[in-house]
Amino acid sequence: MKKVIVFLLLATLGVYLAITFFNIGFGDPHFVNGVKDFYLKETVENLHVSNTVTSIVVNFRGFDTLGEVTVLFLAVTALGSILYKKRHEVGARSVLFSSSSVVTAGSKLLFPAVILLGVYVFIHGHLSPGGGFQGGVIIATGFLLMLLAYENYSVSHTWLSIVESLAGITFAGVGLLGFMNGGTFLQNFLPTGVLNNLFSGGVIPIIYIAVGFKVAAELTGVIYTVLHEKGVK
Amino acid sequence: MVGTPVLFVAIPLLAAFLIPLLGMIWKELVRIVPGLVLIYLMVLSVNLLNHVLVNGPIVEVIAGWAPPFGINLVFSAFSGFLVTLMVFLGLIVWIYSYRFKRNVGFEPAKKYFLLLMMLVTGAVGIVLTGDIFNMFVFIEITGISGYALTAFYTGRDSAEASFKYLMLGSIASTLLLLAIMILYSQLGTLNMAEIATKIHTVKPAYKVISLILFITALGIEAEIFPLNGWAPDAYAEAPGPVGAAFAGIVVKASVYAIIRYIYTIFDISGAYDFLIIIGMVTLIIAEFAAIRQEKLKRMLAYSSIGQMGLVLVAFGFGTKEGVFAALFLMLNHAIIKSLLFLSGSYLVYNSKDKTIAEVNGMHKFLPITSFLFALGAFAIVGLPPFAGFWSKLSVLTAAADSHMLFVMSLILMVSVVELVYYLRVVNRIYFFKKEESVEAKKPTFNALIAMLVLGALILVIGFYPDVITGVIHKASADLMDKTKYINDVLSIKQ
Repeated sequence: MKKVIVFLLLATLGVYLAITFFNIGFGDPHFVNGVKDFYLKETVENLHVSNTVTSIVVNFRGFDTLGEVTVLFLAVTALGSILYKKRHEVGARSVLFSSSSVVTAGSKLLFPAVILLGVYVFIHGHLSPGGGFQGGVIIATGFLLMLLAYENYSVSHTWLSIVESLAGITFAGVGLLGFMNGGTFLQNFLPTGVLNNLFSGGVIPIIYIAVGFKVAAELTGVIYTVLHEKGVK
Repeated sequence: MVGTPVLFVAIPLLAAFLIPLLGMIWKELVRIVPGLVLIYLMVLSVNLLNHVLVNGPIVEVIAGWAPPFGINLVFSAFSGFLVTLMVFLGLIVWIYSYRFKRNVGFEPAKKYFLLLMMLVTGAVGIVLTGDIFNMFVFIEITGISGYALTAFYTGRDSAEASFKYLMLGSIASTLLLLAIMILYSQLGTLNMAEIATKIHTVKPAYKVISLILFITALGIEAEIFPLNGWAPDAYAEAPGPVGAAFAGIVVKASVYAIIRYIYTIFDISGAYDFLIIIGMVTLIIAEFAAIRQEKLKRMLAYSSIGQMGLVLVAFGFGTKEGVFAALFLMLNHAIIKSLLFLSGSYLVYNSKDKTIAEVNGMHKFLPITSFLFALGAFAIVGLPPFAGFWSKLSVLTAAADSHMLFVMSLILMVSVVELVYYLRVVNRIYFFKKEESVEAKKPTFNALIAMLVLGALILVIGFYPDVITGVIHKASADLMDKTKYINDVLSIKQ
């Protein structure tokens, strides 16, 4: 009986939501209103950034991004605190079988390429699709590959923590520098350069590089912590 | 001016990223730095609040984009009052746990103080922000800190409580995001003031569904019945000071968010009646659940849920008296419930099951702690001359002013229930014989200081309510004046 009631309630909610979203009318005239035109115009004309998504994420709504970076940082801290007692000595992993020689040889070859791609993605975040979060995730997959391929591969937690902290301090520090120079937090205080150049967009590339390092270090830390969790057999 | 509102977020974040590095230099720094940050925020908030009470609200833009294009922070009498309260409680909890957590290792201590600081920061961000998506981000920050702090003892029960909280919190985040999406799709803006000016153009169907989703999502964090399943477990399994932080900080921030949506952003008048009904249901069910609890912290948790219900009822009146009563109640509840959690966790410190039966005769061994717990218990049920009396009185008079005699009588009836279960505990502390098996744990010096400050505040507000009512009157006037909020925010130019 209880299950039937729950099912009926959820079904009602689902249908209601489905109807709402079905009739929301993407592309209708009222979608023309709002802040989007301003963003499109300002991004190219004043910020000299060719990727509008990046300029919104890092500049117009940079405060949200700082918050999201913190959310990730806290999630990693939380994971560390929950799994803290279960941490194993290096080498004892929850992946039981060893990798074949194809995987070990191949990952050694791929690893630099994956890292390079990740770095490329976050350095060009303001020019092409991609950015700090995406680049960081790509770098973390590189480390995941190495951790899966080599049983004894280890990453220094101290170094991860240092990189993570320095990157976070850079983000918050750039924000505070804007506060001291331009008047408001996270405001751009560097010359914006020429559109489509690598050195353009003021503080946006700096922030995205910091985010890239931070996300890479944090996700690598997560993978490492979870791989070496005790008790998963 | 000593600073601007953005420092409430920027400084703790900078400190949070610095703490792992500082911990490598000197281990004690991970305990000291969060406290220094909280002291700084306390000074800042008091200064800004004084400034705001005289000169009117401060609206700060971020990244140099004026509203509605950028994100803005609003430090008004209302939000400033809540920010000061939250930072103060964060500081008290820090003082309390500074030595309390001395016997745990370096890594857990680092995480505890880091997460505690971020819990306060997230809650302060929720209150300060003037942007609905930014509020979502801060709710995430608060939530994740909360899940991790619940699981601090890494036992089986605390993991379960934390997992429950995590699941419900994630559902809340999803619903919140959906609600934000619907509003953005209709209005093309995320700024609260801008939404408030345009909300009448939204079709009622979308307005109602987004308000429903907002209230459901925030109701999970604000412990509204029937969305509060996580709360008793989380309060019972989390360390004592964390329970105080939940009751005093997290829940207050979520209630603020609900109130901001109903009072400022949406223009649905039926929402006020809804608040009264849902608040009454929460109050009655929580108080009757509290009387059946055997564990002390679970009882306090249910009592906390009930008090939040009462706050929502008072907000639901929609009058100036109602808002005043609700804010006064929020202040008193934050102080008193924190004191109860802080002293209560010493009363059951060494007992195995943390039950109420195990506090028998504790007053001989922990005279000050027992006295403070009793003080808190008397204050929260609203006995004169303690702080809780004035807030409960103002809720009742506000109900009478709104001609809600039925609500008024129900509140009085439920107060009797409340009195019963609190007096039961106080009775056991003072007049029962101590159980041999339970060994009393002496509170640390810091913990005593923290509890005595709270106890003194209860007495001060009880005897001289005028010291605080002036501020609350201004804060409630500020919340009621929607047009002024919109004008203050939208008049900012680049």
